[in-house]
Amino acid sequence: MIRAEGLHKAFGQKTVLRGVSFEVPKGQSLVVIGGSGTGKSVLLKCLLGLERADSGEVALAGLKNPTPHAVAPHIGMLFQGAALFDSLPVWQNVAFRLMRGTGRMGRVEARALAVEKLARVGLGPEVADLFPAELSGGMQKRVGLARAIAGDPPVLFFDEPTAGLDPIMSAVINALIRGIVTEMGATALTITHDMRTVRDVADRVAMLHEGRFHWQGPTAEAFSSDDPVLRQFTEGRTEGPIPTLR
Amino acid sequence: MNPVATLGATGRGLAGALGALGRFVGFTGQALGWMLRPPFHLREVAAQLVQIGWLSLPVVGMTALFTGAALALQIFAGSARYGAEFAVPSITAIGMVRELGPVLGGLMVAARVASSIAAEIGTMKVSEQLDALKTLAVEPMQFLTVPRLVAATLAMPVLVAVGDSIGILGGYAVGVTRLGFDGPTYLRNTLDFLEFWDIASGLVKGAVFGFLVALSGCYFGMNSGRGAQGVGEATKSAVVLASVLILASNYLLTEAFFSA
Repeated sequence: MIRAEGLHKAFGQKTVLRGVSFEVPKGQSLVVIGGSGTGKSVLLKCLLGLERADSGEVALAGLKNPTPHAVAPHIGMLFQGAALFDSLPVWQNVAFRLMRGTGRMGRVEARALAVEKLARVGLGPEVADLFPAELSGGMQKRVGLARAIAGDPPVLFFDEPTAGLDPIMSAVINALIRGIVTEMGATALTITHDMRTVRDVADRVAMLHEGRFHWQGPTAEAFSSDDPVLRQFTEGRTEGPIPTLR
Repeated sequence: MNPVATLGATGRGLAGALGALGRFVGFTGQALGWMLRPPFHLREVAAQLVQIGWLSLPVVGMTALFTGAALALQIFAGSARYGAEFAVPSITAIGMVRELGPVLGGLMVAARVASSIAAEIGTMKVSEQLDALKTLAVEPMQFLTVPRLVAATLAMPVLVAVGDSIGILGGYAVGVTRLGFDGPTYLRNTLDFLEFWDIASGLVKGAVFGFLVALSGCYFGMNSGRGAQGVGEATKSAVVLASVLILASNYLLTEAFFSA
């Protein structure tokens, strides 16, 4: 469902991805971990066609090296800061995709569906007419999640879904993601450095280190592995092979 | 100073300027291309007509009022040296509709609108809203740039027309209350003197200036750097470029319309 083969990406002299290869089968949830600045977000943008890889191949929902426009009907994406459109009320943010393009919905139908999706992420109908600036960070994440699942896409992407949230709200968002992914039977790829998210959301874990997937495996093994790089990261130790000054 | 180093620095500066010009021209071409491709986001165009046109009316109106009034005083003072005070209504009117209405209106809209567009789109870029649009199958150029270009191009001639009228009214008020003109005579002199092309040329200038203002705002917003500093820089650059483009294009249009 999601496949990358030999992805390379550099910005000027700085090489970020040095041949990333992986596959996420249908219905599975892969969480990509890695330190700040290791290229997790660049990897995600290459997969979505928002950045063009220098070399390598991406296959997503049956499309090879897709453009964002081509892949849009097949994916939902929760951005790190939610990336809600400030000028639109919450319900129009959620129904944004549904109200545009071929087969677009009317406003009444789209609003009803937006309210339904908001309920799925634990928000009441009274939130529908608020603007993003009137919401807390946790509520914005929920709205972003509702927007991501509005079209029932088969593939979901989550970029640092718990960044900036308190531990309780993080647990709520993680539980929502796990529940929604399971319920929809969706294929999911999450990037994070929150170990709680790894435990709650992942079927498999991959660690991005020095531009490559240094380690891949089932979630339980990620926390019992002897690999020194992985252990340092999962245990959050300052001593080890990963430099602390990056 | 080392002449080779000076030459090198000059060359690099020139290459940088040509590169920037090329990117701006490329962006303009892209924007024009997207204007012709459906879907057309008419609701966005309507929203931008309100933002750019309706909400700019107070600032354009105030600018025109005071400019028309000051212009009448200056023309009176100048024409009095030749005993030609009778020309105040006609020269005030032609000055407003051909030059000051469109140029000052354009500059005020540049300050208000180019900055606002650059800041809004720049912030959307920084907060990943442009990427979000793409993942929702909406092209930012089509959804953000095209409606602003269309709305500014349509709204600016209307703003110029309103500004022209208010500017002439400002001249009239000063003429009648301070310079001793008879009201109906002042108005008749103004209306008799103005020709269709005097007014139309100003409106055409307005449309061009509106397009350039929105184009500058969108270009720098779309190419904004990261963080508050990046958005601030984009905002400043948008206003500077829009103002320079207005003044330069005003000269070229004046040459094209009125040179013998």
